[in-house]
Amino acid sequence: MSATSSANGQELLKMVGIHKYFGRVHALRGVNFSVNRGEVVGLCGDNGAGKSTLIKVASGYHMADAGQIFFEGREVKLRSPKDARALGIETVYQEQALCPHLSIARNIFMGREPTTVLGLLDQSRMNEESMEALASMGLKLRSPHALVSALSGGQRQGVAIARAIHFRAKLVILDEPTIALSVKEVREVLDFVRHLKDQGVAAVFITHTLHHVFSVADRIVVLAHGCNLVDIRTKDTTVDELSDIIARGTLGDAAPTHKPESEAAAAALAQQATCEEDTEAEQEI
Amino acid sequence: MPLLARFRSIGVLGVLLLLVIGAAALTPQHTFIQEANLKTLLALGPEFGIIALGVGVLMVAGEFDLSVGSVLTLCGFFFIWLVGSGLNPFVAALITLVSGIAIGFVHGLVVVKARIVSFIATLGFMLTWRGLAEILTAGVVRSHNFEQYPLFTQLVTGRLGGVVPMQLIWFILFAVILYFVLQRGRFGNWIYATGDNVEAARAMAVPTDLVKLTCFMLVGFMCSFASLLQITRTAAFTTHMGTGWELQAVAAAVVGGTSLRGGRGTMVGIFLGALVIMVIDNMIGQARLPYEWTYIAFGLVILGAVLLDLAVEKQVQRATA
Repeated sequence: MSATSSANGQELLKMVGIHKYFGRVHALRGVNFSVNRGEVVGLCGDNGAGKSTLIKVASGYHMADAGQIFFEGREVKLRSPKDARALGIETVYQEQALCPHLSIARNIFMGREPTTVLGLLDQSRMNEESMEALASMGLKLRSPHALVSALSGGQRQGVAIARAIHFRAKLVILDEPTIALSVKEVREVLDFVRHLKDQGVAAVFITHTLHHVFSVADRIVVLAHGCNLVDIRTKDTTVDELSDIIARGTLGDAAPTHKPESEAAAAALAQQATCEEDTEAEQEI
Repeated sequence: MPLLARFRSIGVLGVLLLLVIGAAALTPQHTFIQEANLKTLLALGPEFGIIALGVGVLMVAGEFDLSVGSVLTLCGFFFIWLVGSGLNPFVAALITLVSGIAIGFVHGLVVVKARIVSFIATLGFMLTWRGLAEILTAGVVRSHNFEQYPLFTQLVTGRLGGVVPMQLIWFILFAVILYFVLQRGRFGNWIYATGDNVEAARAMAVPTDLVKLTCFMLVGFMCSFASLLQITRTAAFTTHMGTGWELQAVAAAVVGGTSLRGGRGTMVGIFLGALVIMVIDNMIGQARLPYEWTYIAFGLVILGAVLLDLAVEKQVQRATA
């Protein structure tokens, strides 16, 4: 179908024909999406393209109205974030990831606090493991007691990502991790993503900024109007070509003179056509 | 951590000491520090203090309960009605406590499920429960002879070793238990997380609705427990129990460093904050000032505490930037 689906046990997450409605809004119209083991996938698209909805389905926040989800080759039902987490899918949300007035250690173990025999928090274990988790991300912070509100935006993302991999995530979904960050902080976050990859953890990187994702992603998926638009290896395309496609929101139909510049783009064009047929078919029902 | 935030609890202790010294110096004939008054303060004060502890925990979870005075009244009615109908006081107390928890459950359910802002929802319940208590009593002051239950009164309003009021023991006991729950326990971390950033907590699978519901039930329990203390002490019921306590409890928590926006606060701070309010209340009585002065005093205390809270928050923000 596209350049990606080589199903020889490498596929970690595979979502097929995902539909999602919010009332009368058809937010996802049969989207296909997959992530291989240890792969970093950039998920791009304009506002309202369905990126957030898609990852909320993948992280159990929303349930798909139709479609199938496979994880490590088995079909799964994700009814809550808990289900997703149990499989090893961790999501790092942009603003809502951390509690600013709590310590780093309390944030990292939020909802999964280890306790002693007396039922109290095992604080020494929380502190030690927090520092280890941060160190594994290349993040050196003074103390696990520091409040998150005292950290920079980049460091906060680091804490949130460290938390995800500390609990043995196989797939980390990053929702706009570089939004509202300074240039230096963006570089930090991109380094965290490389650390993830080095540890064999797959990642989905959602962003508006192609330049950010281009330097770390193996593959880029573009959505438009709730449909697949492009699914292409980073090395087979350029920032300019992709940003052009995203800006137009279509590959060829709207601009008949446009000729797909690569084979993968042509494949994606065919896929988009399918998605639109599905939509029409459904409207008839 | 910024200076103001770090020394917040010590600051409250300082305020408390200043108040005590001031009260001792300024009350006529220094009645404030005389034994009789201190005994009264430490026996009556905990009735309010116990409720304030619960309200403080609820505020850390990011919610308010303005109905505490009315729940106290309604539970007080249940208790005196039950013992008055000949029930064993321990059984009556148990039923009263369960009904307090049930009332808290209703509050929590309305806030969590109907998504009504707790400030407004509990304002509604404040009127509802007091109105209900007034209808049920039909304006009659009920009294009951509690001297017939020596064991019960000894446990509730007696004096440990003939000196320390049992009310103070209960107050300290609840504070210690809640310290471990809030600051050292797993559930406590959920309370902080829920109050600080409910979305983040939910995303990390913290059962935020359950956390809030439990905190509302805690407040209901504390109100009903305080009603046992007050009814047993006064041996009578009026519908004017705990008027004004809803805001005094909020004031106690805020004075103790609890954030009005949730997510911040310590049990030591809330405990000391409750003592500050107890002392102010007592001091104004001892200074023979008209009761109206307490309104002015509490108003200024709340404003001062909120201003200090803003200053702390600003320092934290600046440290972040």
